[in-house]
Amino acid sequence: MSGDVARMRNIGISAHIDSGKTTLTERILFYCKKIHKIHEVKGKDGVGATMDSMDLERERGITIASATTNVAWAGHSINIIDTPGHVDFTIEVERSLRVLDSAILVLCSVGGVQSQTITVDRQLRRYDVPFMAFVNKVDRVGANPFKVRDQIAEKLGHNAVLMQLPIGLEGAFRGIVDLVRMKALYFDGADGETVRIEEVPAELAAEAAKKREELLDAASLHSDELMEAVLEGRPTEALIKSAVRRGVVARRLVPVFVGSAYRNKGIQPLLDAVVDYLPDPGEVVNRAVDLDAGGAERVLAADPAAKTVALAFKLEDGPYGQLTYVRIYQGGLRKGDEIVNTRSGQKIKVGRLVRMHADAMAEITEASAGDIVALFGVDCASGDTFCGPGLNLALSAIHVPEPVISLAIEPVDKTAADRVAKALNRFTKEDPTFRTYVDPESNQTIIQGMGELHLDVYVERMKREYRAEVATGMPQVAYREAISQKAEFDYTHKKQTGGAGQYARVIGRVEPLPKGVFEFANEVKGGRIPREFIPSCEKGFRAALKKGALIGFPVTGVRVVLVDGQYHPVDSSDIAFQTAALAAFKQVYLKAKPQVLEPIMKVSVEGPCEFAGNVFATISQRRGTIVSSVEDGTFSRVDAEVPLAEMFGYSTMLRSLTQGKAEFTMEFLKYGRVPANLAQELTKTTESRT
Amino acid sequence: MTLTVKEELIKRSPLRILERSISGGLGRGNIGVLASRKGVGKTACLVHIAADKLLQGKPVIHVSYASRVDHIMTWYEDIFKELAKSPKMRSALDDFDELVRSRVIMNFKQDGARTEQVLRSLEAMIVHGSFRAETLIVDGLDLAQAGLGDLPLFKDFAGRLGLEIWFSASLKGEEPLFDDRGIPRELEPCLGAIDVLISLQHHGDHVHFNLVQDHGRLAPKDLRLKLDPTTLLIAKDVRPRRPGL
Repeated sequence: MSGDVARMRNIGISAHIDSGKTTLTERILFYCKKIHKIHEVKGKDGVGATMDSMDLERERGITIASATTNVAWAGHSINIIDTPGHVDFTIEVERSLRVLDSAILVLCSVGGVQSQTITVDRQLRRYDVPFMAFVNKVDRVGANPFKVRDQIAEKLGHNAVLMQLPIGLEGAFRGIVDLVRMKALYFDGADGETVRIEEVPAELAAEAAKKREELLDAASLHSDELMEAVLEGRPTEALIKSAVRRGVVARRLVPVFVGSAYRNKGIQPLLDAVVDYLPDPGEVVNRAVDLDAGGAERVLAADPAAKTVALAFKLEDGPYGQLTYVRIYQGGLRKGDEIVNTRSGQKIKVGRLVRMHADAMAEITEASAGDIVALFGVDCASGDTFCGPGLNLALSAIHVPEPVISLAIEPVDKTAADRVAKALNRFTKEDPTFRTYVDPESNQTIIQGMGELHLDVYVERMKREYRAEVATGMPQVAYREAISQKAEFDYTHKKQTGGAGQYARVIGRVEPLPKGVFEFANEVKGGRIPREFIPSCEKGFRAALKKGALIGFPVTGVRVVLVDGQYHPVDSSDIAFQTAALAAFKQVYLKAKPQVLEPIMKVSVEGPCEFAGNVFATISQRRGTIVSSVEDGTFSRVDAEVPLAEMFGYSTMLRSLTQGKAEFTMEFLKYGRVPANLAQELTKTTESRT
Repeated sequence: MTLTVKEELIKRSPLRILERSISGGLGRGNIGVLASRKGVGKTACLVHIAADKLLQGKPVIHVSYASRVDHIMTWYEDIFKELAKSPKMRSALDDFDELVRSRVIMNFKQDGARTEQVLRSLEAMIVHGSFRAETLIVDGLDLAQAGLGDLPLFKDFAGRLGLEIWFSASLKGEEPLFDDRGIPRELEPCLGAIDVLISLQHHGDHVHFNLVQDHGRLAPKDLRLKLDPTTLLIAKDVRPRRPGL
């Protein structure tokens, strides 16, 4: 199967929570004969959908880690990455987007474009991923795929065009009209496995003709040939398909398909569309930076004969050891090949090579450019690049956000401690947004992540996968400190009593740096501080930033300008200047009017209109600012900015307030100033602790 | 006593001319309407009015019936950028984030949301959301269609919650749009619920503001304001007074 790039597809399935993404994936596996029985996400049979391989995902009915799986359809090899829908796990989504060539955006035909859809759309945009839309759940009460198409056009700004019409809606949904072939498709058999092709029902003929017009109009923009054929009144199926494909690959057209995964309707045509309209790895431009050429950009060729370049995008700890998922961009991987991890410089021999199907795997001997496979027994971190001998490239790093929340954990007993360490080691390798360290003061293990749920899931996984039970403290917000005005320092560090002396003097100023973490400028003239000690000063200032004097959190947004100083020919040293800088910063810090900053989250709450008032109240009680609210008669969405510190327990509260009818998403937006009275309280608690 | 840059900006705003012409401003409990054909610049004027309130530290709710909200946010950004054109002003306006904290955009669907429901949501925002707005901007509601029944509801709401409400009204009818007193013919049936009515009209290459009704009195008057075609800000009209008005 390896080798023919044109017959490969790497697709992701992205969606809002509960749009039925996992159900859709499950059906795709079934129709591609990878599984022989269909399980539901919240299955009554206790088995759960095949893609949710972790117990926890089965229990909560959500998808956390993106398992990749390979299927065959119409002579093509399709790698599917199932991506999580919850915002707390966006790193997983981002990581999969990096290795995908295209995506299916799943939308609910009742909910339409929801807050998470907007997030996912933004991510697809960031990585220039072409996609098509699947409007699922056409059988649900209130389904309106036409409205959803309009929303994709209006709210997301895409040139969305219907490729199909539903035959009947809600409970009466029976089949689909294919607007390219102008045929009606019905899905027979117990699991909808037989596609029956018939004429378009008479009552839909007029509408189908009209929608086909729209499709031809949109598609012919991408092909002069089709435009001509349309004018002459004889557009062919092949011409339409190639025009749509061109539009999709250029990200200028979004074809919209309809169906109901749960009812087994519309899946096979969607798979045909993956083959017909989504790009193969050779049609997508991928770039890497050349580490031997000062970071110059190189375009990779999806050519099996070229030298190998591959990206480790996901690690998983299975029962047989560490599994590393890699996307091969160039060249190929063969059992016994030698490759180099360009981050560590380590040479690795390719051992076992497997193709994944959720939990099951198939051993293979080689894989080539464009493919996604997994390696056994390779020690690396997620995000590492592997190259063939003679190449030293790095695939651009995936955007990794800083963690905003931390939690102290403590193993319940001695035996658990070892397992906790093992689990943490694993998780930090798998997920770059999950971090851990030991607080030197309290001696506690701290874990950090992107939200409450994110950390909850890891605590649960420790328990289930590593039998490591831990007690947790209160979640702690990752505050920052920052100065608000310019201030000058002049500090002399002197220790010249007996033995080797120390002497260093630093003069300069600190300034707020609103859009950055730290900047150091050296304006010392005439060698008043010898050049070799300038880096020592910088190091000293950097060390000082690690812990602010207000509440002990890192200081951010500081520009230090070193203007003048003094040295002693014998007693000045690296250490002396570091110490002077550190002390100078401590001295000047309070003069620069430091403030406490807190993470502000972008919060989106969606639910029926009748709860809008309650939602407004919950936001304002939480020191939030409502940015906008949108109501369309039945449904409302409130967008707000709320400090993370106020968001603990929000999901439980919202659920009980709205009888579970409203949901919210949240992501980090920016750091904002903590109001003076609260900052004072924080300072007080810090003082009382020390 | 010297004024701060911000105070200076507020004092010199052409909107002070507008306020002087309508007896000191629209005032709480009152309804103001800007009427013109589509595409003349009503939204720009409303955003300018709102921005002026925000500068004075007064919260504003912007009610929009457009299909998306992001372009309204861009309007505000553009207007503040325009106001901050001179370097002296920039420092006064650099905290754009802080200014827009006093603004909420509420978006409703024209055919989906009934005015009773819209007012319920607005009240929820003001009362439950603790958002003490003084000014309400309502843009894009089809007044001529909804006017007779809905404008009195807004008027009552304005009185009850102590708000001043500025509307835009798109005139769609056939020419002549205005009767001989300058009143938009489509709005005649609901004139009773309107306190201040201003029409925007093209004269040559500029858009001019005519005061039609001032707090219940029919008082046709050229406001000597124009819409600057490049900045889309309301500006003083310095040309000689046209005869006949």
